[in-house]
Amino acid sequence: MARRDLPVVNVTAVAEDAENPVTEAGGTLAGLEVTLRRMVRSLRGKDNVTIQYPEQRKPYSRRFRGVHVLTQRADGSLKCVACYLCETACPAECITIEAAEVPDNGIEKVASRYEIDLSRCIFCGFCVDACPEEALIMSREYDLTTDDRDGQMAYGIARLTERPEIDAYGAGYRPHMQYPLVESYLPTQRRQESAAETGPGT
Amino acid sequence: MPLVTIDEQPLEVEPGTLIIQAADRLGIEVPRFCYHPDLRPEGNCRMCLVEVKGYPRLAVACATPVVDGMIVSTPHTSALAQGAVRGVLEFLLVNHPLDCPICDQAGECSLQDFYMHPHYGLHSSEVDPSEKVRKRKAIDLGPRVVLDSERCVMCSRCVRFSAEVSGASELQFVQRGNHVELKAFEDRALADPYAGNLVDICPVGALTSKDFRFKCRVWHLEHTDSICAGCSTGCNLRIDHYRGEIQRLVPRRNPAVNRSWLCDEGRLSYRALSAAPRLTQPRVRHDGTHDDVDWEEALAAADQGLHAARTVGRPTAVAALASTSATNEALLLFKRYVASTFVAPLLDCRFGQEDRWVEEREDALLRRRDKHPNTRGAMLLDLAETPDGGLRQMLARAREGAIDAALLLYYPPLVRQEDPATLEALAALLHAVPFSVVLTTHEGAWCRGASVVLPVAAWSEEVGTYTNYAGVVQRVGQALAPPGAARSAVQVLGDLLARAGRARASTAPGALFAELVATVPTYAGLAYESLVSRAADVYPPEGRMAYGQEGFAGH
Repeated sequence: MARRDLPVVNVTAVAEDAENPVTEAGGTLAGLEVTLRRMVRSLRGKDNVTIQYPEQRKPYSRRFRGVHVLTQRADGSLKCVACYLCETACPAECITIEAAEVPDNGIEKVASRYEIDLSRCIFCGFCVDACPEEALIMSREYDLTTDDRDGQMAYGIARLTERPEIDAYGAGYRPHMQYPLVESYLPTQRRQESAAETGPGT
Repeated sequence: MPLVTIDEQPLEVEPGTLIIQAADRLGIEVPRFCYHPDLRPEGNCRMCLVEVKGYPRLAVACATPVVDGMIVSTPHTSALAQGAVRGVLEFLLVNHPLDCPICDQAGECSLQDFYMHPHYGLHSSEVDPSEKVRKRKAIDLGPRVVLDSERCVMCSRCVRFSAEVSGASELQFVQRGNHVELKAFEDRALADPYAGNLVDICPVGALTSKDFRFKCRVWHLEHTDSICAGCSTGCNLRIDHYRGEIQRLVPRRNPAVNRSWLCDEGRLSYRALSAAPRLTQPRVRHDGTHDDVDWEEALAAADQGLHAARTVGRPTAVAALASTSATNEALLLFKRYVASTFVAPLLDCRFGQEDRWVEEREDALLRRRDKHPNTRGAMLLDLAETPDGGLRQMLARAREGAIDAALLLYYPPLVRQEDPATLEALAALLHAVPFSVVLTTHEGAWCRGASVVLPVAAWSEEVGTYTNYAGVVQRVGQALAPPGAARSAVQVLGDLLARAGRARASTAPGALFAELVATVPTYAGLAYESLVSRAADVYPPEGRMAYGQEGFAGH
């Protein structure tokens, strides 16, 4: 475009116009348009962004990486054989395992102590990726606040295997989610299956 | 001398050298299961197949001696050899169980390592796990060894060790083909006092250690090279420790001392370190009871008491006895402190008959009667000069009232129990002497009579050197920190020397060793740094752990 085609602007008129209080308020309101629209909608009870936590909760992804679960075999024994791969993979070094011998089950080895210090855990899920047998998976449990950091944050075998929260939140991330768990059970699931096998009335 | 070319690298070797040995010297890896440098070659695993120019078929590198002009290609350069080795490994894995998560060998297993190497493994298995031949597992073979037949690759290293080296001849293969199985006769417990070596030489997880069973994963272990303190043979070993605890001891190869072997007593000697409570704080006796004090107070008390004995000035009124389990460096400072502080002291290193037993064999392989690692070193420092000196003589003199003070450096034996008579004599000596200073590692009833007890570092907690029965000087490694306030004997003796007004000796191990070389004519020419030059003899050769990494890098 040639220079002579440019429109001529009267700068003084523009400046005076900008100082006009009506125009000023109009500009501010235009800028607040989205905010105001949202405000009116939420005042009328439509699409509230906030929820009344903890009474209300949002559903999380099936792949959510929450507090771990140690799965069980059909007979209720611990699936974990203490191969230490999760402990080796853990970048936060929050897993402590001690192995023991089982003479008579054909598997030889079991974890006699399995502890995850959740105050150190970064919930990266490497431990679950490392587990060759889905003996360790994650749940969708995410609120693990406590007023006793020393006593409550280290989850041992008992709490990792059976705790009410596992059912409340459901299973979370594990590496092969497209397939069902094979010979690994969450506590309720296992009890349901064994009840179904034995049948009612027994 | 024959000239051999392996993968285009020429090497001149002595006649009779095997191809695999020449390759090891060149740093070329030839995979192997059955070959072991201290066993007779058998050539049964076929993993070391190489192509030799002019030969009609592949040769086993572990049983073919080099001839002049031989041109050898390993699986790294020969497609023919590589194909054969890949086939061999695939066959060896046909019946191998998927046990790695519960197998103690995982992490140091030849099968795992070779499988992860792009030249030998990484095949996808054609065998369905349900078709594998199942064999017996977790068979109890006595106090040291657990056998898992399924994992065995039939290399026969254990059979040969048992027959050739320890002479126990307790293992044999039975059945044939798919069903071949390693067996001890009627599954009897192995009575071999060297059974622990079967676990070391097993290249897979068939023979695993009962002591180490499920204790720790091998990739967590930290390694410290050291010398066994169980007897005067001075076997080379490696301390494997994790989070401040010794997990196991394994032999290091040293053809001049122990070849690749270690006796079971030596292997388990680390247990003795935690068998009794350790001394963690210096103690001084007030009114008949011991009180914990800090080092400053304890050293001042020791110095004052010994000083009083010195100023009395009677010759031979001070008894100084240092155990031959102490390092050469500690013994040097002990001798210097005693000789420079007292007039004609009774200075000795014998609690029993160490000097007579030092060379006496207990069996044909390794064990010796003297259960102290450094008796020869103490003798070379002239700490056993008089024919009948030692603890018993000191006790006799003390009972006559001729001893004013005693200074003892004592380490409980790591192998077997201390002779009760020795402990009684020690206790009696401490009761008969007006003032006594004891440097020791563990609590014991015998040292209740001591005026001052100073806690010192035990084996595996300090560096130094031991001189074995034959005069071989070897370096001891420090794997752990001494417990509590305990300090190395070298440091404590250095502090005592400084308090006695002597120039503060440098307690750095290299500096002390240089002084030792200047003091003992036999050591002329030795240098502290070069005492660990035997890395070349370590078996398996250095760098073997690189297999897995190499395999991953190739992807």
